[in-house]
Amino acid sequence: MGRIVLENVVKNFGETQVIPPLNLTIKDGEFAVFVGPSGCGKSTLLRLIAGLEDTTAGKVVIDDQDVTEVSPSKRGLAMVFQSYALYPHMTVRKNIAFPMRMAGMDEAEQNKRIEAAATALNLTDYLDRKPGQLSGGQRQRVAIGRAIVREPSAFLFDEPLSNLDAALRVGMRLEISEMHKRMKTTMVYVTHDQVEAMTMADKIVVLQAGVIEQVGSPLDLYHAPRNVFVAGFIGSPKMNLLEGPEAKKHKAKTIGIRPEHIEVSTKSKKGAWKGTVGVAEHLGSDTFIHIHGIEGCDPLTVRAAGDVAVKHGDTVYLTPDPKLIHKFDDEGLRIS
Amino acid sequence: MSSRALPRLLQTPAVVLLLIWMLVPLGMTLFFSFIRYVLASLNRPEWTSPSFSNWRGFGNYGFVLDSKDFWLAVNNSLFIVGSILFLTVALGVMIAVLINKAFPGQGIVRVLLISPFFIMPAVNAVLWINMILDPVLGLNGLAVGGINSVIVDLKDAPLIGWFFSLWPQLEPISFRSSQNSAYAVIMMVTWQWTPFAVLIFMTSLQSEDEQQKEAAILDGASLWSQFRFLTLPHLGRPMAIVVMIQAIFHLSLYAEIEIVSRGNGNKNLPYLIGEFANNNIGAASATGIFAVILANIVAIFLLRAVGKTLME
Repeated sequence: MGRIVLENVVKNFGETQVIPPLNLTIKDGEFAVFVGPSGCGKSTLLRLIAGLEDTTAGKVVIDDQDVTEVSPSKRGLAMVFQSYALYPHMTVRKNIAFPMRMAGMDEAEQNKRIEAAATALNLTDYLDRKPGQLSGGQRQRVAIGRAIVREPSAFLFDEPLSNLDAALRVGMRLEISEMHKRMKTTMVYVTHDQVEAMTMADKIVVLQAGVIEQVGSPLDLYHAPRNVFVAGFIGSPKMNLLEGPEAKKHKAKTIGIRPEHIEVSTKSKKGAWKGTVGVAEHLGSDTFIHIHGIEGCDPLTVRAAGDVAVKHGDTVYLTPDPKLIHKFDDEGLRIS
Repeated sequence: MSSRALPRLLQTPAVVLLLIWMLVPLGMTLFFSFIRYVLASLNRPEWTSPSFSNWRGFGNYGFVLDSKDFWLAVNNSLFIVGSILFLTVALGVMIAVLINKAFPGQGIVRVLLISPFFIMPAVNAVLWINMILDPVLGLNGLAVGGINSVIVDLKDAPLIGWFFSLWPQLEPISFRSSQNSAYAVIMMVTWQWTPFAVLIFMTSLQSEDEQQKEAAILDGASLWSQFRFLTLPHLGRPMAIVVMIQAIFHLSLYAEIEIVSRGNGNKNLPYLIGEFANNNIGAASATGIFAVILANIVAIFLLRAVGKTLME
């Protein structure tokens, strides 16, 4: 079990309110990702769930039990930290054993769980090493191992991959996703990287300045962003947001069109937008073209499949897919 | 010139200077320790100048080993150094942990804590032995006198008077006496050097990883377990530094011992050397060589012990 409910949770640091009253339900077995720019309160929210921060008001409920006043270790949660937070003078084995040792579990059971975790995480050969002798990815695995052996009702991850290099990050991302599919335990994952959010989450919670902007599945957020902020934040490359006359035509303050929903052509077309290529990034599978000269959005980004032969200074004609244009009103909210 | 010769040549002056710095005093001490050499002698005036013709072999060493104070001095040196190390490290860790959390007036408290370290050793000894430990005029005497007078008053009290009438008259401890002078030295040096330990442990505590502590809290570690399994190992290296530096300093304590009891019942090796050096330079030099050997044994022992238990 691992159903986490936040009821009107408020957090103040001194006079500043970092989290205004907030409600959120994370279902049992769900992979929930908190995503948002730095300083949006996503880590604070995770620490409130973990109990490392006290709530100013409101309730934290885990499995129908109010744990607002319960100490962190009694909440049945395990956390993986950005800096791994391994105990540097203990071997990998002792690091993994630490929570069980603190709980006074008997040796045989401890060893059984350590072996199981080490096998699952490919750490068997490193059990007698110190964290200092391990690579970043291995350290992260040890931190996950230390969380697994507690058999928690939910795992909390605080930007666990940000200290890894790009290649390792992709690998660890897959491992964590696979672990979730296997264990079916609730996971709450904090990241500022929307790619991680899109690839791993069952449910994404987009936060800005402590306020939940939208909650939904990755594809919900992609297809129907609730407001301009979510539209700009989810998706890579970012959605193009146009204001001015082009938006007026659609009776909106702002319109958004994703780079992959624009057709690009070097031949003149009726009703198409005309622009000049600034930079064309050729990735082989895709070409990202940054185009200048379109009113209301500079540069405008287009993602064309395959290799498109355009270069700096070329004139191109753009046709957005009219069905896939997102419209937003004066307050930045979606018009549907 | 080969590529290595030039750097070697350029290093030579420094190396030679350091060798002279070290080897000349050591060599002279060794030389004096093997000859008869005294500052004044009416019967044997030829012994008053150092010369190979006064060769005595290991005679000075035998003389020192047979002197009644030698083993007392060795034991006392180790006892004093060991006690001070234990007390300063234990107190240092406790105080450093205590003042690590932010509280109002933290800055002033820190400055006050460090201040004993700025007092000269001789002044420190004079203050302690006269103002605090003196059995008549010091805090020691006044406190014991105060307790005694309270007990005398309570003897006349109703109901509980019979209980206090069983109490003996308390005597203040005389810290200048031969049995207690070592404790006086340990107390005053501990007072003076605890700030040094606090200072080093305090800086080290500030570099402790907060996320590790949070991870430990989530892992269910109590405050004691956090201290035992995270903070204490984190302080291993600074402890080794404190122990090494203090061992070097306290093996050569002199001022405190001189001021507390003039070595009465409480000599260490440096003090014994000083006593011999009043006249018998040969014996003083032999004691000096013993002190060098002792210091090396202590250093090796400490390095091993500290390294094994804490640095792993």
